[in-house]
Formats: sequence, structure tokens, C-alpha cells
Amino acid sequence: MNILKGNINSLNTSGRLTIVTLDVSGFSLKSIIIENPETVTYLRIGNPIQVMFKETEVVVGKGSDIAVSLDNRIDGVITEITKGVLLSSLIIDTKAGKIKATLTSESVTKLDLQPGEPVTALVKTTEIMLSE
Amino acid sequence: MIEIALQKELTAADGIMKLDVDLRIQQGHLVTLFGDSGAGKTSILRMIAGLMIPDDGQINVNGSNWMDVKKGISLKPQQRRVGFLFQNYALFPNMTVQENLTYALEKGQDKKIVDELIETIELGDLQNRKPGTLSGGQNQRVALARALVRKPEILMLDEPLSALDTKMRMKLQDFILTVHKRYNLTTILVSHDANEVIKMSDEVFFLEGGKIIKHGKPVDVFASKRVSGKFQLFGEIINIEKQDIIYVVTVLIGANIVKVIADESEADSMSIGDKVIVASKAFNPLIRKIEE
Repeated sequence: MNILKGNINSLNTSGRLTIVTLDVSGFSLKSIIIENPETVTYLRIGNPIQVMFKETEVVVGKGSDIAVSLDNRIDGVITEITKGVLLSSLIIDTKAGKIKATLTSESVTKLDLQPGEPVTALVKTTEIMLSE
Repeated sequence: MIEIALQKELTAADGIMKLDVDLRIQQGHLVTLFGDSGAGKTSILRMIAGLMIPDDGQINVNGSNWMDVKKGISLKPQQRRVGFLFQNYALFPNMTVQENLTYALEKGQDKKIVDELIETIELGDLQNRKPGTLSGGQNQRVALARALVRKPEILMLDEPLSALDTKMRMKLQDFILTVHKRYNLTTILVSHDANEVIKMSDEVFFLEGGKIIKHGKPVDVFASKRVSGKFQLFGEIINIEKQDIIYVVTVLIGANIVKVIADESEADSMSIGDKVIVASKAFNPLIRKIEE
């Protein structure tokens, strides 16, 4: 699991749903949750919060201007690659901290990912969990 | 209402522990004492039953004073209307199921209750057999019936299900809930199993080092409201295996087995038998109707 520290920047609530915009070391990340400021006390602008997502849910992009629907983009540099038969594990060093990503080994080969290479870690808004 | 205030110095594995608890239990509720071994759970039950005398405190059960140290009041164990069920059922081996139950009757008590319990707890087919010929789960059902013969005001269950397999445990949980409701009992359960607590109890008291550190409805006490994931299940790790570069962790949740992927650093901190929360967002699981 990846755990990053951030602060709540803005809240966009509709009924029970809220899209929370977070500032994580300068990166703007979004998470959608089934809560609103009335159901939980941690939803306050400025509140520190932990941002959690699983390493298997991280998409790794190469190059600039990646045109995909993912809102959450964190730039960094690959520091480590552990290759398995089917899966590989990457560690990406970012300003928000280290991010782990588990990808298929095939895609690591196809994108020719190497340690030292600048990449972008992408995560869906529905995959980010928040914790106090 | 059952009001219990107990203070006692207990000798624990790592020195003296001061037990100091205040419990208010509504008549007809099923409550759980939850905590690690040595937290004082069994001592509380023993003091309610009159098998252990506290240094200070009172026990008031629906208006009648069972115990008050300052006033020098302490009913004898046999005067306290409690039923007790332990992990070891301690039935008489030389008596049949029916004889075991009849033996528990009070002098002059109507025998009707024995037949009624045999029916409620479905012991009809077993009533002429002796404990030695029955399975653990069947014996535990007999012990449950026996604990109820004298129509106790409080039923106390000290981890009665921990030695049983999952299927048998679930069946016995259902029997306990049935008799709890049918006889309008106030039941105190000691349990280690979060799923069991959530399934069975109205309220849970979380004990640590002889003190109640949390209490409330089980879902509020266990489910972390502090994590936004709406899919939180409590289970026990039954297997961890490395596959390629990841780990597959098998978790028993109630009667279901699920598998969760963990990375190496997570897997290193886990062992078989650990209690875990499996969390996900409500957005991820697929849902579909089961075709008949």
C-alpha cells in the first residue's frame, strides 16, 4: 500500500458523495468518497490527511502530456525495478515520497522502463482512500 | 438494568494488574467483553458469578443487590441466577443428555423446562446418548441447555465457541441468539473474534489491562470510521504465500475465504492467525445477482 501525506484543499459535495481535492507536496490529487462533511469530522479544508492507494492500482506513464482520463498524476523518477516472471515492482521517487507500483513485466519491457528514468504515476480518483 | 462496578488487584503474568471496570448492561441485551487474554474478562465473569470476591464494588441486577463490598453484602454463587458456559463443557460422562439436564434442576422445579430446552436447542435425537458419543459442538449445545435449566437472569459465555470449527461455531451462535431472545436473557459473551462480536452483540466493551478503553455498538467500535473505505471486513489470516514478486494472503471472513494481494513489506509483518481488516472502496467490488 502507498501512503502519502497531504492536506485537504477543497471539497465538492453532492448528497452523500464528495470529491476531495488534496494537496500532496504540491501535487493536486483527487479522491471520491461516500462521505460528506456532516458524516465525518475529518473532511475540513486544511486538515492533514493520509492518502492511500494500492501499488497494483498505479498506472505508470512515460513522456509528457499523457492523454488519459486519470486525474491524479505524480511525477517522479524510477529508482528500483524488481522483475518477476509475470509482474514487476517499481519504486518511483517523487516529491510526495516513494511510490510503489506493480505492473506486468511485459509492460515494463514494452515501455523500456529503466532505473533513473522520469515517469508519471497515475491513479484513478476511485482508487484513493483517505484516512485520518 | 444490570450495574456492575468492580475493583480488584489481580496477579497477571507480568506483575500486578488493577482491574477497575464499570459496566451498565440493559436487561435483554447481549454484550461482549473483548480483549487480549489477561485483560480481565474471565475475572469479571467470575466476580459476577460469585466465584471471585472483588476488593471493592457492587453488583446490582434488575434492582436486587447481589454484592456490595462496603455494605458487606455478597450472595453465594448458588443464590445468584447465572448460567455459565465455558469452552470445556464439563458434562457428567456417565449420564445421558437428558439426565445431565434433569440433574441441573432446582429442588421442586418443574421438569417441563428440560423438554422445552431439548426442543429449542434441537437435542431430541441426542437426549438418550452420553456425552462421550457426541461431537464437540453437540456437547456444547447440551452444556448451553444445561446452563439455562434454572432460568438464569444472566447467561455468561466464556469463549464457548473457540474450540469449534467455523460451521459448528455459526450454528451454535444461532442457538445462543435464539435462547437469548426466547428467554429474554441478559447475556455476557467473552470473545476474541470480531466477526462473532459483530454478529451477536448489541454492545461491546473493549478491555485492556483491566480497564474498559472503548465501548459502544460493535460496528462503531471495530469499523474504522477514520478510513473512508466502505468495504471493511474483519478476518483472520489463514495462509500467506509468495507468488512471483507478490504475496497472496488468504483471509477467513466469517464462513467465507477471500484472497488479498500484499506486497513484500506488508507480508513480512503478517503471520497466520493475525486478525486483519480487509478494506476496499465501495467503487471497486463488482456486484451481480445470483442466478437461480
